[in-house]
Amino acid sequence: MSRKTNLNRRKFLKKAVGVGAMAVAAPMIVPSRVLGLDGQTPPSEKITLGAIGIGNRGSYDFRCFLAENDVQCLAVCDVRQTRLEAAKNAADTRNGNKECTTYKDLRELLGRPDIDAVMIATGPNWHCTAAILASRAGKDVYCEKPCTKNIVQSLALADAFRRSGGVFQAGTQRRSLPHFMYAIDLARKGKLGKLHTVHARPMGLTAKMSGWEAPEPEPKKEEFDWDQYLGPAAYRPYNKALSNGFHFEKGGAFVGALGGGGCLEWGSHCVDLCQWATDSDGTACTVYEPTGKELHAVYPSGVKLVLRDDGWLPLGSCPVRFEGETGWVETADDGDIAASSPALLAGRHQKIGGYPANFHIRNFLDCVKTRSQPRASAEAACWSHITCHAANIALFLNRKVTFDPKTTMFANDEQANRLRSEALREPWRI
Amino acid sequence: MLRYMVGMAAGLAMVCAGPARADDALKAPPGGEAALIEVIKSAPKPEKAIACKQLAVIGSKAAVPALAALLPDPEMNSWCRIALEAIPGPEADAALRDGLGAVKGKQVIGVINSIGVRKDAKAVEVLTAKMKDSDVEVVGAAAAALGHIGGDSAATVLVGALAGGSVETRSAAAQGCIYCAEGFQTAGNRDSAIKLYDAVRKAEVAKQRVQEGTRGAIVSRGVEGIPLLIEQLRSPDRAFLRIGLRAAREVPGKEVNDALVAELAKTTIDRQALLIAVLADRGDAAALPTLVAAAKAGPADVRIAAIAALEALGNASVIPTLLGAAVDKDANIAQAARSTLARLPGKDVEAELLAQLSSSTGPQRGVLVDLAAERRIEGAFPIILKSAEDADPGVRASAIDTIGAMGDEKQAGYLAAMAQKTQDQKDRANIEKALNLLTGRVGPVCVQYVMPLAKDNDPSLREMGLHVLKGCGGPEALAAVVAAVQDKDDAVKDEAVRTLSTWPNRWPEDAAILEPLTALAKAPKKEAHKVLALRGYFQFVQGSKKLSEKDKLAKMNAVLPLATRLEEKRSAIAALREMGGTGTFDLLVSFVADATVSDEASSAIVNSKLLAKLPKAQKQKALKAVVDQCKNDGIRKQAEDALKAIR
Repeated sequence: MSRKTNLNRRKFLKKAVGVGAMAVAAPMIVPSRVLGLDGQTPPSEKITLGAIGIGNRGSYDFRCFLAENDVQCLAVCDVRQTRLEAAKNAADTRNGNKECTTYKDLRELLGRPDIDAVMIATGPNWHCTAAILASRAGKDVYCEKPCTKNIVQSLALADAFRRSGGVFQAGTQRRSLPHFMYAIDLARKGKLGKLHTVHARPMGLTAKMSGWEAPEPEPKKEEFDWDQYLGPAAYRPYNKALSNGFHFEKGGAFVGALGGGGCLEWGSHCVDLCQWATDSDGTACTVYEPTGKELHAVYPSGVKLVLRDDGWLPLGSCPVRFEGETGWVETADDGDIAASSPALLAGRHQKIGGYPANFHIRNFLDCVKTRSQPRASAEAACWSHITCHAANIALFLNRKVTFDPKTTMFANDEQANRLRSEALREPWRI
Repeated sequence: MLRYMVGMAAGLAMVCAGPARADDALKAPPGGEAALIEVIKSAPKPEKAIACKQLAVIGSKAAVPALAALLPDPEMNSWCRIALEAIPGPEADAALRDGLGAVKGKQVIGVINSIGVRKDAKAVEVLTAKMKDSDVEVVGAAAAALGHIGGDSAATVLVGALAGGSVETRSAAAQGCIYCAEGFQTAGNRDSAIKLYDAVRKAEVAKQRVQEGTRGAIVSRGVEGIPLLIEQLRSPDRAFLRIGLRAAREVPGKEVNDALVAELAKTTIDRQALLIAVLADRGDAAALPTLVAAAKAGPADVRIAAIAALEALGNASVIPTLLGAAVDKDANIAQAARSTLARLPGKDVEAELLAQLSSSTGPQRGVLVDLAAERRIEGAFPIILKSAEDADPGVRASAIDTIGAMGDEKQAGYLAAMAQKTQDQKDRANIEKALNLLTGRVGPVCVQYVMPLAKDNDPSLREMGLHVLKGCGGPEALAAVVAAVQDKDDAVKDEAVRTLSTWPNRWPEDAAILEPLTALAKAPKKEAHKVLALRGYFQFVQGSKKLSEKDKLAKMNAVLPLATRLEEKRSAIAALREMGGTGTFDLLVSFVADATVSDEASSAIVNSKLLAKLPKAQKQKALKAVVDQCKNDGIRKQAEDALKAIR
């Protein structure tokens, strides 16, 4: 394995003015300076933001947004009062006023015509429904992953943003990190020869199901709005064990109960990267076959996708590996890259570990201004999620399934097709 | 606590168990669908809920009556619809239609939504009635469902509703019209789709619906939608400009491209940049001459946008234009051009860049050398090596940097020899940077090639050698740096200790650094060396991903007695607070009694994430130590509160 130099983020950002770092910023069709993003953005050119879901991951994303000069946060929304207060304070401090408004019902925030874009970092139960509601309200959306609970939601998400003309970026921030982009570039530009296999690590193919627990006394609505928290998920009484939004209804249906935390939770990152590396942003794998510890799938191009947890180089979490006829490359969250030949790594200058989201958020904000498609557009997210959902269906049925990306149905397979979607609790719809 | 889900004897437990048993879960319970129907009829609600999910997979028309009976129950409505939406056949359609009469409140909306998902054409009549409901949310659901069902009958109802009622109900009807139009478009009925989109964009409905109608009207018309598209691109309303910019990317056709190019000449500078971005995203090569012209001359912001757009549309023919821009006196233009040159796709591009590199001179040669590294053009390497001795300092710097980025161990030797030859301090600094990059990538195999630096007569080159050896790593490099601690030059000695104290911590062999650091800490030539050695030791142990908690504890215990000075103890505490493991936590507690670092140790304890995971007795002991011995009121109060919380 070849070694890479360590370069911390501060040094990287300093270096980012040079040619060597440009691959990170690209593709940025209209340069920042043209868009008024060089630190002196007039108020009229600021992107006004509403933040929906500001606990755990949401608070991190929110800080990244607030760090951007051309963002002004006007409103925050969460089902928990304590989070609302903390987020409002952060926004007010950043804005230099006391005008950030708090909401518990996202529909009220979305109803504000003065908000351009929303960040959605609720639990995954809400992601798709909230994003589609936002698209109907004319908002651009940065939405945490996993973005959808099933195949039909994935398609509806892409349709919604095509219909509204809105900009959507899935929170798959590894698409904007230099080492992943570098490895993908090698695969896409033929530097590995003809690509034949891509590998992703789903980190376990099992997950707990969000069930119906014994009822517990419900907190006061003003402190924690349980009904709003449940949102589109089927009804169940309050129970604290279910109140961790990160795990609740991750994937939703039977399939989600099995794989929502496995194939989908990590696949929405690592399978997503394989989609990009294989130029499959507008399609999904067709044949899926569980083989014991692994799942093998095949893209329409003939490239094989292998989901496996074992046999990875020690490069950190979320690894991917791309293999072509003349070489291979593997990378993961530590920021290092291993390749079949040091020559493949020539010209690589930066290492960024720790999967920060700020580059990805910057890409989203640039696209809000240009109306270009961000790196993880609704279309790209739709198909990478479909590959994960279809893989989960194969795992659940414990047999081979065949999916047709053109019809978006499984071929002659009623059981699999029944798992394409799941009813939402009233009044929510997508 | 009773966990209904986990406790279920039937399929769910197997569902939770993992993919290996998933097939069993599908077959469970043993009684199959009949047993699940019985659960639906008589079991407690939590079990009914899961039975609904199982019936979604294996249920048939036989399960429909029992499922439909759950519709009026607000707590079960969403669960039973999971199955009713999934079970194929007219029975489930009929159950949902009939169910509308049996439900109230929000459940009406749920049932309507499910009808919409199933696209039940027989429901148009009942949904039409719901379009007149007093609850605007019911109207919204009915309109959406009608839109999803689609067809002429639904379209007629929806268009009719655009004209009357409140703005909310009109807007709801508009939403339905949009869905309906999409259905027409997919079915190839373009005229009906256009009719609906036009109806929406001309209706008095929410602005977002008008935008969606406008976008649909443009896209469904294709090239015939160009006038409407241009209207949006000229709109003073930013929302409609945005719709225009998105629609302009969707509609295919040379005519659209021509219209956008023509518009480019007429619009404002700000919008020119946005239109150029659209042309780039469309990827139509016909726009290339326009973009090249815009890249060459005009307002700087438009030039920059055009240069950036050439990445998407350009080919080898644009290289001269971009090379010219890459040395422009406007730094922003130059940077944009370099960025595009680095990413311009195509094998012919690399061949052309190589040809230009062979013949270029001056600043352009420097740009091309940088690009060779950025684009990994292996054929450029002989020219780059030659350029490292170019008379132009800028070209030399680029070449040296590129050798660092692309070279192998032999080029490490080449760079080391260059460093020995030159007296130019800037060149030396560039060479060191390049060597660090190269050796860090290629590894210990470089040691023999860079060792001459560490043995040079010039102390500053010996220091450079130490840094580069650290980048190489491996036992030979480590031995050379350890030997340098005995160097005749004091500055080199100090640098050797600093180098050892920051030795990389990535490879199994790197752990050998602990031995020389221990030796330095035990018998330092200077006190500063001991401080550095201990800090390096503690940080290495703390950061190691390969040592077990037990090994870390043993290694910390082995040298902690040497940490006698304040800085040394602080280094130890800083490392201990980041480590996991209960043993290391006890070491942290032992520092509380030391008045010189009691506050640091106490703060580390009360703020440790590990604290919550400790056994109760150990947690109490740690907090009590803080309460009893810490002199800082704030920290002591924190510990007291935490202690009370445990009790």
